[in-house]
Amino acid sequence: MSRGDQIASTALGRLFRGQTAIDFYGRRRVGFIIAVVVIIATIGSLFTRGLDLGLDFEGGDAWDIPASQTFGVDEAKAVLEDNGVPTNGARIQRRSSDTNDLITVQIEEVTQANADQITAAFAEAAGVGTDEVNFSFTSSTWGGEITDKAVRALIIFLIIVSIFISIRFEWRMALAALAAMAHDVVVVVGVYTVFGFEVTPGTVIAFLTILGYSLYDTIVVFDRVRENEGKYAGIRMPYEDIVNISMNQVLMRSINTSISSVIPVVSLLLIGSGLLGAVTLREFGLALLIGMISGIYSSIFVATPLLAGFKSNVGRKPRRERLTGDKLRAAVIGSGVTGRLATTGASVDAGSTARSGSHDDDVKTAAVLQPVGQLLTHPPRPRKKKRR
Amino acid sequence: MKRRLWFSLIATVVAVIAALAGNIATNNEPILGLDLQGGLSVILAPEDGATGDDLLVVRDLVRSSLERSGVAEPDVRVQGSNIVVDLPGVKDKEEALRSVSVSGIVELRSVVNFNECAASPAPAVPTDETIAEGRVLDSDGTITVDGDPTGEVTPPVDEESIGFLNDEAKTSFRRSAPDPDAPVETDAPAETDAPAETDAPAETDAPADTLAPADSVPADGTEPVAEVPLDLAPTLAPSITGAEFLPTLDGNALCAGPSQASGEVFARDSASVQLGQFGQFSVSVDLRGDGEASWNSLATQCFNRLPSCPSTGVDTDGSARPGQIAIVLDGIVQSAPVVNVPVFDGSVSITGSFTQDEADQLSDVLNRGAFPVQVTPQETRTVSASAGGDSLRAAIIAGLIGLALVLAFLLAYYRWLALVIIGGLTVWAMAVYSAAAFVSGATNYALSLAGVTGIIVAIGVTVDSYVVFFERMKDEIRNGRTLRNAAPRSFNSTWRTIWSADLVSIIGALILFSLSVGSVRGFALYLGITTVCDLFVCFFFTRPAVLLIARSKFMVGKRAFGLEVATS
Repeated sequence: MSRGDQIASTALGRLFRGQTAIDFYGRRRVGFIIAVVVIIATIGSLFTRGLDLGLDFEGGDAWDIPASQTFGVDEAKAVLEDNGVPTNGARIQRRSSDTNDLITVQIEEVTQANADQITAAFAEAAGVGTDEVNFSFTSSTWGGEITDKAVRALIIFLIIVSIFISIRFEWRMALAALAAMAHDVVVVVGVYTVFGFEVTPGTVIAFLTILGYSLYDTIVVFDRVRENEGKYAGIRMPYEDIVNISMNQVLMRSINTSISSVIPVVSLLLIGSGLLGAVTLREFGLALLIGMISGIYSSIFVATPLLAGFKSNVGRKPRRERLTGDKLRAAVIGSGVTGRLATTGASVDAGSTARSGSHDDDVKTAAVLQPVGQLLTHPPRPRKKKRR
Repeated sequence: MKRRLWFSLIATVVAVIAALAGNIATNNEPILGLDLQGGLSVILAPEDGATGDDLLVVRDLVRSSLERSGVAEPDVRVQGSNIVVDLPGVKDKEEALRSVSVSGIVELRSVVNFNECAASPAPAVPTDETIAEGRVLDSDGTITVDGDPTGEVTPPVDEESIGFLNDEAKTSFRRSAPDPDAPVETDAPAETDAPAETDAPAETDAPADTLAPADSVPADGTEPVAEVPLDLAPTLAPSITGAEFLPTLDGNALCAGPSQASGEVFARDSASVQLGQFGQFSVSVDLRGDGEASWNSLATQCFNRLPSCPSTGVDTDGSARPGQIAIVLDGIVQSAPVVNVPVFDGSVSITGSFTQDEADQLSDVLNRGAFPVQVTPQETRTVSASAGGDSLRAAIIAGLIGLALVLAFLLAYYRWLALVIIGGLTVWAMAVYSAAAFVSGATNYALSLAGVTGIIVAIGVTVDSYVVFFERMKDEIRNGRTLRNAAPRSFNSTWRTIWSADLVSIIGALILFSLSVGSVRGFALYLGITTVCDLFVCFFFTRPAVLLIARSKFMVGKRAFGLEVATS
């Protein structure tokens, strides 16, 4: 027999053994309030500060400077830094052909005076006359057409995914999953607007990554809700209970997955951009990190309570208050995976009498509430006959 | 059962290692994006007088042409007065120049009688008789009259016409080929002709304006429609300046009047191929608001058979047919439809006996025709990586360290079972690398920094498959099942979960890949690859590995999930 037959005394122990009984549904307002605050903050910031669109979206200024032994990409970068231009959004490339060898520097648009100053600085650094430094404007590379096509593709994707989730699960779950996804994207957009990070094509990819991750995570959680829904279909379990039980059951999985997903991104952030100095990775890593944490958070605190909200008015009204505390814990453990409520001899007797009597709801509930020790004292029955 | 599991396990490992070895042996590596590896850059210079807006339009057109021709994720921008095209993964300059030679202005010209072209460099003064002769494009690009008339005039099998898209103008008209076709190409040069080919690479053997093949020619195939009816024939003296002979795609030639409009009258990227109810292909294209007038002016001339756009044949009922509009790209007539309505409203539909390839090509030409200015490649340069050379190294090092930490965590948590995760992730990584290398070779999709970080995120999603699986097993065992019993049950329910969740990612990857462009498409590609590899490894590696371990005595007495696994 495993050691799982006792309830661990510490919270961590209970978490580790899958014996938690957190009333997620009861705390749903906290999740909703946080979500609303984040969304309002993002929208407010979007209106007041906007998004800082990078070179690829807005174009900017470009310099072509003759390259030499003493003037390369690093030197050009140093010149930009000396002139107070952030090099994070700058694109510095060496372009060489048989006849010439240039350093091309592209930055977001600066004022004419600044541009002249930078031109002079480049000329000085490269040891050439200012007339040899070619200054020009550069357009965006990400035309509106790309955005249009991407948005269209995204909308079609969301429609098809909604249909898929509606078929595989149900439409309320599709709605809740999309809401959670929207929440995550808003959170990340919020980070970009509040902190004034530059939006690059890489950022768009980060948004899409987060969007996909959020949907993925929500579906994994919903799958368990769906499974438990089937298990409790016979006893009119309030949907809030099903949600709570499912959440507690997948909690450890969510935590483990979060840790495993977040570690590489944190490593990207700390080691890649911190120790190794690849600045391009920094904002990208930050966006991903926040998006992933938000994705995991929203699956539990936004999507599922929302789903319970959608479902609360569906079907027959539950006959009792939702389970909390030890009762919830018993249900979490009892229905863990066996797919059946543990029925001890006593409850079977009670069930048989109840079957002829009024309603078996209380009886089944009683079965759920069997003392944990009793629940686990015997191994699952071999499932040979009857329904699963 | 056991043998099947072993087979699946070993076959997967062998297949993945073989794929990896194959890629390494053939030096097949994923193409890295501009930000990671740099590439080649081509500078396109526009002709004089191009405005900034023109250049922006050209930028978008160059980009979409490149995407259509399979060069993925190019970086196209206007810098100063030039257009700079950076191409990732292109190593050879010839290839770079070839891939950007997408420019070319489409001209719209009326088709006039051959005598108008007498003053042009065409060597022979065309007469009604010579019309019957096949004309071919010489290798030096001049038009010569084939000295070997076939003696057979094929009827102009009214093949192509332009009409409205909407029903009201269903009466639209057919459009006929500009001049009778030489039934068989007796002169090879036209086929191998260089200028014609560079502009119409896909079409070397399928002329867009081909008349119907002989078997579709009516029995009375001598109907002389190609001749200009006498009452409509203008004086034989040239009356139109600017008329010249232009080769058609099938190696013939026709006499076109001066250019009256450019492809700019068409809305950008609006041309598309439709399949009619009788299985015939047609090409429809939208007119731009500001281009409609110039198009309609030309169309009206042709419909009314004005001297500037005379009739070039008679209709089946014997009446003079309306004039034709020649759609000319780089001096080659792509199509010369007869105009069946005087005024077009919004869109134009070109019908005819196209093959699908021909229709596709015409549609491409019409889309490309929106080039407002001519651009010519000036120079190629190599471009260094824009993200700084060490970004990739940093990302890879950081990714590996992250991966090591994840594995350490999983090892601490799942103990012995984490061995399966390590094996599975190794197989997964090899599979992803092989697939990326293969796809890069086949499609030119470059792996950018965003893609690399996307793959790092995918590690998390992949590990999740194991976490879901093992957490489920933990529950089962805690509820008193033996490992042997718990493993297959857990896998079944895990597989349902993983499959549903991954299917969403795969749907996303497919849709984004097929409908979007640029780096979003690259993202979709790598999302698809990592997700499919995850499913593949989960079913063909993880499942047999865990089931076999569960059946063996390997885990007995060992710790896993922090539980001691009971003897079964």
